[in-house]
Amino acid sequence: MKSKTLDSKKLIALIVGAVVLLALPLVLPNYALLILSFWELYIIAVSGLDLVFGYCGQISLGHAAFYAIGAYGSGMLHEYCGIPVFFTMIIAAFISAAIGALIAYPSSKLVFHFLSLASQAFGEIVYLLISHSPGKITGNYQGFFSDYINLFGYELDSYTSFYYFGLVCVIVFLVIKTFMVKSKTGRAFTAIRENTHAADGMGINVRKYKVIAFSVSAFYTAYAGAMYLHLTKFINPDTFMLKQSVMFLTMLLFGGSGCLLGPVMGSFVVLLVNEVLRALQDYQMFVYGILLLVVVVAMPGGLYGEIMRLVNFIKGKATQKAEVK
Amino acid sequence: MLRTEGVTIKFGGLTAVNNVSVHIQKKKITGLIGPNGAGKTTFFNCISGVYVPNSGHVIFDGKNIEGKRGWQINQLGIARTYQVINLFWKMTVLENVMVGMHSRLKSGFWSDIFRTPAQRAEERRAIEKAYEWLDFVGLKDNANDPAGSLPYGGQRRLEIVRGLASDPKLLLLDEPAAGMNTKEKGELDVTLHQILEKGVTILMIEHDMKLVMGVCDYIYVLEHGQLLAEGLPDEVQNNPEVVKAYLGGDDE
Amino acid sequence: MNMSVYGMLLVSSLAIGSIYGLIALGYALIYKSSGLLSFTQGDILTLGAYLGLTFYSILGIPFAISLLLTMACAFVLGILLEKGVIRQLLNKNVGAIYVVLATIAISYIIQNGSQLAWGTIQLNFPSVFPVQNVNIFGVNVRPEALMCFIVSIALMIILHFFMTKTRFGTSMRAASMDSMAAESLGIDVSLTTGVSWGLSAGLAAIAGMLIGPIYGVYSTLGSTIGRKGFSGAVIGGYGNMYGAMIGGLILGIVETFSASLISSTYRNLIAYALLLIFMFIKPTGIFNERAIQD
Repeated sequence: MKSKTLDSKKLIALIVGAVVLLALPLVLPNYALLILSFWELYIIAVSGLDLVFGYCGQISLGHAAFYAIGAYGSGMLHEYCGIPVFFTMIIAAFISAAIGALIAYPSSKLVFHFLSLASQAFGEIVYLLISHSPGKITGNYQGFFSDYINLFGYELDSYTSFYYFGLVCVIVFLVIKTFMVKSKTGRAFTAIRENTHAADGMGINVRKYKVIAFSVSAFYTAYAGAMYLHLTKFINPDTFMLKQSVMFLTMLLFGGSGCLLGPVMGSFVVLLVNEVLRALQDYQMFVYGILLLVVVVAMPGGLYGEIMRLVNFIKGKATQKAEVK
Repeated sequence: MLRTEGVTIKFGGLTAVNNVSVHIQKKKITGLIGPNGAGKTTFFNCISGVYVPNSGHVIFDGKNIEGKRGWQINQLGIARTYQVINLFWKMTVLENVMVGMHSRLKSGFWSDIFRTPAQRAEERRAIEKAYEWLDFVGLKDNANDPAGSLPYGGQRRLEIVRGLASDPKLLLLDEPAAGMNTKEKGELDVTLHQILEKGVTILMIEHDMKLVMGVCDYIYVLEHGQLLAEGLPDEVQNNPEVVKAYLGGDDE
Repeated sequence: MNMSVYGMLLVSSLAIGSIYGLIALGYALIYKSSGLLSFTQGDILTLGAYLGLTFYSILGIPFAISLLLTMACAFVLGILLEKGVIRQLLNKNVGAIYVVLATIAISYIIQNGSQLAWGTIQLNFPSVFPVQNVNIFGVNVRPEALMCFIVSIALMIILHFFMTKTRFGTSMRAASMDSMAAESLGIDVSLTTGVSWGLSAGLAAIAGMLIGPIYGVYSTLGSTIGRKGFSGAVIGGYGNMYGAMIGGLILGIVETFSASLISSTYRNLIAYALLLIFMFIKPTGIFNERAIQD
């Protein structure tokens, strides 16, 4: 049983953290706020991918497609149907979840790595459709313009306001993720990852839960895509190529999969790497490749896993010392 | 409780199980023995929905269940353990048991993600229940360890209790004593009787003759995919065909 | 449209189809030997094209010898890949999912590595034959396109005999069916697996050198072809060597004809749509290979 002092320590840390997060826009320049806003939407996208990969043990190389469906879906619903922007984001995310389920259902009978092929093919199809849309409804290579988010008449037209909005979104999405993984549904995901055969034997409808994981994941990533559109007000197909899917995977693996904080750390580090190497954009994929390989070969738990190992190591040392005394 | 009628399973040209009919009595421990490669596990897989028999029927509680998927059969009330331990290694011992309860938990996707009061209450009860189960096999202190860190005997016991967590009517045990030492086998003997007292019927595959003869109420003998003999432990033990199959047959 | 147009379309579809086939063949070899997907094939094709260009055009080595040199380099690379990365990962007992990810990482490293070495500008692969066109049954055909098809079919036939008639080929097949049993028969499974990866890299590199003169050489040449090669592999039946070639050719034909007869806008879409259709409706492919289905 945990002691009360520990809980109050946690509470203090939480309050300090909250104050820092809320105060950041007061001290940071606009450019940094833009980066933080990107961080927020990447956290949501990568957390979504984590549900499929980290928890359910399935590999998707097509999440750029859901990112695109969220972005273009929200933009087009606003442009052509006149729906206010915030609602379009949610509708687009639901559409993406439905499409995700349509892809996942037939894929769920495939051996796991073949989902990577199916999702990759799906990603390519979506990319081709948005870059060669009939009647140029997506703006094709010229790109697509849209508006800021409008929250009941209040327009989020500054990076500061978007940052606060994003903060709320991140908290909501991460809380829902936590609820989900620590429930019957999340246990079913993990059981499928650990041993599909035994999961079936324990009464888990493997296909159903694979579809749920993929569909929820598509929802998360699409919502992030919609955030992206309404943050920058402009998108073009280049963002939604295969390399975006690989970037999400790199963020996830580098941060650590199957946990809450992994995607948070991973998206931050990779985002920083991207910004630092902006001049070398042609070699961005080289960096992703190296990062991925390093993670896979040397630290399968990712950054989070390594930190936890360090923490446990220090704790172990401490208890050892205590025992010696 | 459970009947099979002429169950036959073929792989390619090979007949792994040939025309096997058994009748498992309610609230009894039934043993399924036979030399290695006799098709015992294949027969188990057929009952638990891993394989669909090429012909024949599996009747559970008066309903045909052949062709149903594994998870559906678990929901109907048949739980199982595996010959090769199949735990969820990276999940905690407690979580393993809770996965075992999957069929009996009512919460669904939406109540899970919004953590509704009903879901909370159910989850709390489930954790309590899981601790009770762990206590039952003496794993309570290991509840929050990863399943992979348990010693071998503990893993076997966790498998059994994970199966029990779904409140099955019938429990299929595939070599529960494999790799256990004499002391652990003795404890298993007690545990099996305790499970029986809870009203759970048991069908088990086991090589350890002392355990089988001591604990089983009725025994079926399988050889080369066919039923060789059946009867009370004494009858089977003295059946010349069975003796011949075992002497001429395999290691155990 | 007259017959000669159809003839030209057929030749170009067989040319690109056989390239897909060679890539898919590599996927089949890797799948059979390691039970894995590898995403490196496409980028090894790119590397092969660059290497071939270097040997042939820059160093002035005759085409046939350049082809063999390129293949040898890729063969070694394939073995190094298997021994240096894949085997190490498998020995560490990481999940297959991570090994597949490692191949994705390596594919990006190769792709960008060749960009570093040869630059971002598309390079021109000089033509191999002195004539622009040859006339076959009244159809004007680029000899390079014809070479694509002929060399690929020849490779397929050689591989067939290698796998069925030689001792080493038989060992490779045995190892792919049941590695434990093969090992107990004294087959060096580690060697056969390495050779499988080497061969598939070699095939991809040859494909790169064959397609280079037709498409030009640039750093993303192989990534699209590699992805479409997956379609070919799935159409034919993933893991089946003959299915790979047939699937690749079918893809080449469907894609080329529909692009020129219907619309070229969605040329690439057809390959991916076919992949999904086969995967969802007939996952065992034309040759009924049971690799994909759970």
